[in-house]
Amino acid sequence: MTDREDQVDFSDAFCAFLQSTVASVNAAELLLMLWRKPDQAWSIGELAAAIDPIGSLAEAEARPYVETFGARGLISRLEDGRVRYKASTDFEAHVQTLARLYLERPVTLFRVIYALRDTKIRTLADAFRIWRP
Amino acid sequence: MEAFRVFLFGLAALTSIGCTWLLFRGYARSAVRLLFWTGLCFVFLSINNVVLFVDTIVLPTQVDLRLLRFAAALAGIACLLYAFIWESE
Amino acid sequence: MMDIISAYLSGAVTLGYLVAGASFLRFWRKTRDRLFLAFGVAFGLLSVNQILATAIDAGDESVIYAYLLRVLGFVLILSAIVDKNLSMRR
Repeated sequence: MTDREDQVDFSDAFCAFLQSTVASVNAAELLLMLWRKPDQAWSIGELAAAIDPIGSLAEAEARPYVETFGARGLISRLEDGRVRYKASTDFEAHVQTLARLYLERPVTLFRVIYALRDTKIRTLADAFRIWRP
Repeated sequence: MEAFRVFLFGLAALTSIGCTWLLFRGYARSAVRLLFWTGLCFVFLSINNVVLFVDTIVLPTQVDLRLLRFAAALAGIACLLYAFIWESE
Repeated sequence: MMDIISAYLSGAVTLGYLVAGASFLRFWRKTRDRLFLAFGVAFGLLSVNQILATAIDAGDESVIYAYLLRVLGFVLILSAIVDKNLSMRR
């Protein structure tokens, strides 16, 4: 993959979207599951199970991600606590980019998602590695 | 017992000096300001530990360097809090 | 007057270490890096040590014991650094 493709795919705006909204691969998959079926209302438990049929993604772990989606205006909440995807003009393009990259360049996408998190704090911890890895 | 105390207090001083070195080396490599201010904090903590060593083991009764230790500790804490509030994203 | 200043500064330092320790624990929660847990606990020890040092208000011998927790805090930091470097193959 060339640098040029990286610049186009992972624009600053898209990276900002990832950094603020998609904290992990699980978060990305939850968001995409919501996006694929915008007419369906999910409980968080159902959503987590849909991502991970084995059941290793706990509802408690999925909840903060969904809360973040709510804070960004990406979901609408129903009275019984269920959520549904809400297309927002701000982020719709980014979610589509996310969906495309998830299919076309998943490895790079996951690497970028994790690299964007808490970089300064990780650098602080890495400073205490005496021998450079 | 005395030797053990010297060892412990000396170890504390050396540890904080070591941390200072690691942090500034990390800053030189990464240019992440968080590391600079954390390193500066450990400069003051190191001063604090060295002065403590002097105060308690080298010259326990002659002088009371408490105010100097307080000043160093507060300077270090100020650097750390600045780093965590403004530079830690 | 000096006693009052001393006590005031001691309180400031106590709280400062406590806040620093809490901040390290926040980093630990974010990154799950044990190093930050150690730093958080160590700064907590420094904070408690400051309280003890004021309470004891040592004259001579007991001065050493007043600062033992502080030393233990730095030993904890040292062992966390060693632990990080020994388990680096990840």
